[in-house]
Amino acid sequence: MSMIQMCRIAKIYANGVPALYDIDLQIPAGEFAYITGSSGAGKSTLLRLLYCADRPTRGQILMGKRNITRLSARKIAFLRRQIGFVFQDFKLLQNRTVIENVALPLQVQGVSIKETRARAFELLRYVGLEYKVQRKPLELSGGEQQRVAIARAMIVRPKLLLADEPTGNLDYNLAQEIMEMFSAINKMGTTVLVATHDTEIMRLLPRRTIALENGHIISDTRPETDTDQLQETA
Amino acid sequence: MKRLRYFIQRTILNMIQSPLLSSATIGTIGVALMLLAFFTLIVLNVQNLTRQWSREIQITVYLEQVPSTAKLQQWQEQIKQHPSVEHVTYTSQAEAFELFRKRLGRNDDLLDGLLPEILPASFELVLTPESRSELGAEKLVQELKKNAAFSGFRYGQDWLKRYDAFIFLLKLTGVLAGGFLIFATLFIISNTIKLTIYARRDELEIMTLIGATPMFIKIPFLAEGALQGIIGALLALGGCHALYYFFLKRGLSALLTTTAAGNITFLPFSIQASVILLGFVLGICGSALPLRKFVRV
Ligand SMILES: Nc1ncnc2c1ncn2[C@@H]1O[C@H](COP(=O)(O)OP(=O)(O)OP(=O)(O)O)[C@@H](O)[C@H]1O
Ligand SMILES: [Mg+2]
Repeated sequence: MSMIQMCRIAKIYANGVPALYDIDLQIPAGEFAYITGSSGAGKSTLLRLLYCADRPTRGQILMGKRNITRLSARKIAFLRRQIGFVFQDFKLLQNRTVIENVALPLQVQGVSIKETRARAFELLRYVGLEYKVQRKPLELSGGEQQRVAIARAMIVRPKLLLADEPTGNLDYNLAQEIMEMFSAINKMGTTVLVATHDTEIMRLLPRRTIALENGHIISDTRPETDTDQLQETA
Repeated sequence: MKRLRYFIQRTILNMIQSPLLSSATIGTIGVALMLLAFFTLIVLNVQNLTRQWSREIQITVYLEQVPSTAKLQQWQEQIKQHPSVEHVTYTSQAEAFELFRKRLGRNDDLLDGLLPEILPASFELVLTPESRSELGAEKLVQELKKNAAFSGFRYGQDWLKRYDAFIFLLKLTGVLAGGFLIFATLFIISNTIKLTIYARRDELEIMTLIGATPMFIKIPFLAEGALQGIIGALLALGGCHALYYFFLKRGLSALLTTTAAGNITFLPFSIQASVILLGFVLGICGSALPLRKFVRV
């Protein structure tokens, strides 16, 4: 079954900039894929369409069996509860503690406080931040903040994880750590889609790579051997 | 229930966590509403004062001949029935003479040897507040003229003209200044709230990303706006009362006679309640408008 199906998608912004054009794309459930391309190629736009932050100008998007091309604000909210997000700028609430940030998606869904706390703590332990649960995001390093964001994305047990330049602000070692986490999440069955122009990362963890240029898909390649181990050469 | 607890908790935490923003909002609402309330206070008191003055607008109807008691009663009833008459009194010839004598004071010897019959008997009419204008007085006089026994009318036409002009000017300034003040209040309050919400747009964006429904995001903000509006309104009433007490009560009573200062009253309860309601509505609407823009998916 395919997780995502994009059919003849075009996105032209209100100012007339064509950001995506004629995109046909299928992502099977459980896949790990990169979306790559130079700056301005349309990577972020493609992800924005998937979490309904923008509507495509033309074409249809199916997620699972559901057409998500035109949803009401309320339906979009419910769709997003099944998607995890990780962004370059982390998007954490600065005035709440680490554990409150991680707990937020479940709190919004009305899950009991006890269960929410337990799951948030479990995930913070998983990302190695169990000793910093009461800190505020600004008291953490960039890598730590990104791990908080990942814990927050995973707390809803998402079917799909979208990451836009998740390692953009991080140095190589931290980036490697984050990618290992994504790989682990993917192994648990979550479909992972990472937009990046960091070729180092892609060499480290070779996966299906969809390359965009000026809003077109110019190549869609898979590594010859799907290695689960990270490559030693870097 | 759980939701309700979350909303209440969130509302209070938001206000505590950004004390600067919420005190700015409360302060703005407070000052703006205080000006509005104080303006209303002045308008109401001036209205009160003119209403008291306007009781002086009387029509005197002179009678050619002293009527029989039956006729007198009939006429008095007739005049009383008229919709624009609030009150009517009869002054007999003897009473008129006495009054005149009193007015002359020490010179009352001028009247020595004269009979009370030199002065006509009369009706004194006090008009209802709606008819206290030149037009109202004239209309009533036209009606009364139908009775041939009513020989003369006196109602201070010149004074009435000036009174009409004064009331018109008062209403005009009231409407203009009040309209301007309301507009300025709306503008200032909505802009302040817009800024405070703008300062928290990251939070709004993150909440939408993690799947909060628009209502779920908005409710704490709306509640916060409402609460700030009510607190601001209460402060405004407090400030207005302080102004009233120190400027009007204390300050003016030094200038005016005590009775004139005693006639100045604070806002009636209904207006005080309206100010609080206005704060509440402004707080909610002021928040709802910018939220509509920022809570977009
Ligand atoms: N909100 C917007 N309004 C108008 N044009 C936009 C908007 N967002 C993006 N664009 C344009 O759409 C094109 C694709 O932008 P997009 O952000 O998808 O690129 P990207 O591949 O993510 O680039 P980067 O690697 O720099 O993040 C660019 O030309 C950009 O200028
Ligand atoms: Mg981008």
